[in-house]
Amino acid sequence: MMRNLLCMTAPVREGFDIPCHEIGPKSSHPAVALVAGLHGDEINGVFILSRMADFLNSVENGKYPELRLARRVLIIPAVNVLGVNLRTRSWPFDKTDLNRMFPGSTIGETTQRIAYAVLEATKRSDYRIDIHTASADFEEVPQVRLYGPSDAERATSILFGLPAVMERSLSPVFTTTLMSSWKVWPGQSFVLRVGQAGTVQLEHCQRVFRALVSFLGRIGVLEGVQIAVEDEEICCFDKKSAFRVFAEKAGTFVSDRQVGRWVRAGQELGYIYDSFGGNVIEKVVAPVAGMLSGMRRHPLLFEGDLILRVNRKG
Amino acid sequence: MSAQLSMKTETFFTIDMPYCERMDIRRTVFSGGEGPRVAVVAGLHGDELEGLYVCHRLAAWLDALQRTEPDYLLGSVELYPAVNTLGLDTLTRGLPVFDTDLNRAFPGSSGGPLPERLAAALMTELSGAALVVDIHASNIYLREIPQVRINQEFDDELVPVARRMNLDLIWLHGAATVLETTLAHSLNSSGTPCLVVEMGVGMRITPEYCDQLVAGILSVWKEKGVLAPEVALPETTHTPLIADDSNVHYLNAQTSGMFVASASHWTDVRRGELLGTIVSPFCGDVLSDVRSPVDGVLFTLREYPLVYEGSLMARVMARTGGRS
Repeated sequence: MMRNLLCMTAPVREGFDIPCHEIGPKSSHPAVALVAGLHGDEINGVFILSRMADFLNSVENGKYPELRLARRVLIIPAVNVLGVNLRTRSWPFDKTDLNRMFPGSTIGETTQRIAYAVLEATKRSDYRIDIHTASADFEEVPQVRLYGPSDAERATSILFGLPAVMERSLSPVFTTTLMSSWKVWPGQSFVLRVGQAGTVQLEHCQRVFRALVSFLGRIGVLEGVQIAVEDEEICCFDKKSAFRVFAEKAGTFVSDRQVGRWVRAGQELGYIYDSFGGNVIEKVVAPVAGMLSGMRRHPLLFEGDLILRVNRKG
Repeated sequence: MSAQLSMKTETFFTIDMPYCERMDIRRTVFSGGEGPRVAVVAGLHGDELEGLYVCHRLAAWLDALQRTEPDYLLGSVELYPAVNTLGLDTLTRGLPVFDTDLNRAFPGSSGGPLPERLAAALMTELSGAALVVDIHASNIYLREIPQVRINQEFDDELVPVARRMNLDLIWLHGAATVLETTLAHSLNSSGTPCLVVEMGVGMRITPEYCDQLVAGILSVWKEKGVLAPEVALPETTHTPLIADDSNVHYLNAQTSGMFVASASHWTDVRRGELLGTIVSPFCGDVLSDVRSPVDGVLFTLREYPLVYEGSLMARVMARTGGRS
């Protein structure tokens, strides 16, 4: 079932809505809340969740007789609706970041009202998942992000079956994010980081789609799921395991390496060219052996830009 | 005393850009005697210009001092008028390419990407100053009276200085953790006093506000011993009101449309007085009346007419309540 989370007016166009899907048996609150598109240019998440809504609606309509949705799932494919249409990360009118407006308010700025509506709809769920990408300049391996997790969240994070689980402390800078606001409520909260902004990366999306289906199966929300065992192991990385390479020199960075692959210490991963002269000015190599978990995708580098991250196995 | 006043403009931060160019950020330093060092920072946001003009006025005053009484500069003055150089040159509030609010990047780190490096460089340059004034010009939506904003964590030290800045309002606000990444918070929590001035409106300059602040800054510099006691200064005539979260009332739009103000900015208003209306360009109706909730001072007024449901149109400080 589709319903509008929030209906608002606009200065000159007609009003706008933030629609969501509610699928599965009726209940006072959804067992699982899936949110994406707080940033309008993070299309991987919007695509994954719209596909998920189609899939779960098909389950409800009997298209997969072996599957049964035991509990209700709420899906918001995009919070920043206008941002998706206008291809902007932030709220297009005042350029503020919707994921810095939580917990929101009913009487404050437009973005605070949107944040409030999203939090109200999701905060009582047992499991809450917010899907993001990196920026349009950087690609992240599909991963579960934990921020100051509980032991229960640590244990549950494995159930997605994604190749990497990255743990971070909850910095005060993130106080006004959806994740931080969720954490004051009972239940478990996860961020999934998937690829880069501005595009749909089909392979990543399919992988995360399968991860979400397995997850819904393992927590008993979707019954009858045959869990395929991924042959790749799941690695849990803490902050200490991350080794970053920053650009010593400005220029044009080129690499054909894929994120998620294992690399050797010293392995060549890309080149920085002088953007005017065309000569190679720096070979970029892996600082340690580990998983190439993130990689620069925009070729133009300022001095000091992050080029890549390798996570060493603990 | 035979201090000789000298002036130089120099690059304090430089970084290579992808194709051929370098981004250089400059400051102007007026050196006099061995007395205290003070600094003025502006243009952290590329759409805020008031502080740039203040720096110009201060430089003009110091130029004149150099010609007439060079011995009167007992300390040194550093002006950082255009920190977000690329943003100012391209009419972008944030740091171009990085899509980052520079004033959320502090204290930064010296080895990371540009926003962090620049923040760290600025912290290094400013640390240890006797006083830093960080000038902001609201944004393009709202017009503000000349005011100092002070985090309550630091009010004991900063309020006495702020009172003498020749401004009209001191707004004490609660400690919001998200603001811990500002320049002012980073400086204040590491022992360098920093006052945040907000005034005027984005993309414009308000010369009378700028001159008012210049008089206040010079007067505080004199008290701190940066300028000689005998120096003649422009008169300071403004005494600030004190606002805090208990006596500031926010007026957010009830509906979307065009806000047209009927009250003037920086005036006394009565409870129930009409401050403006929200209208629609599609019809002749008034969609919403905007009235003052209290007797008070209209210190924030919307400059950019289009509003969404929830957009801030005005702030009124009640004449009663709050701290005095």
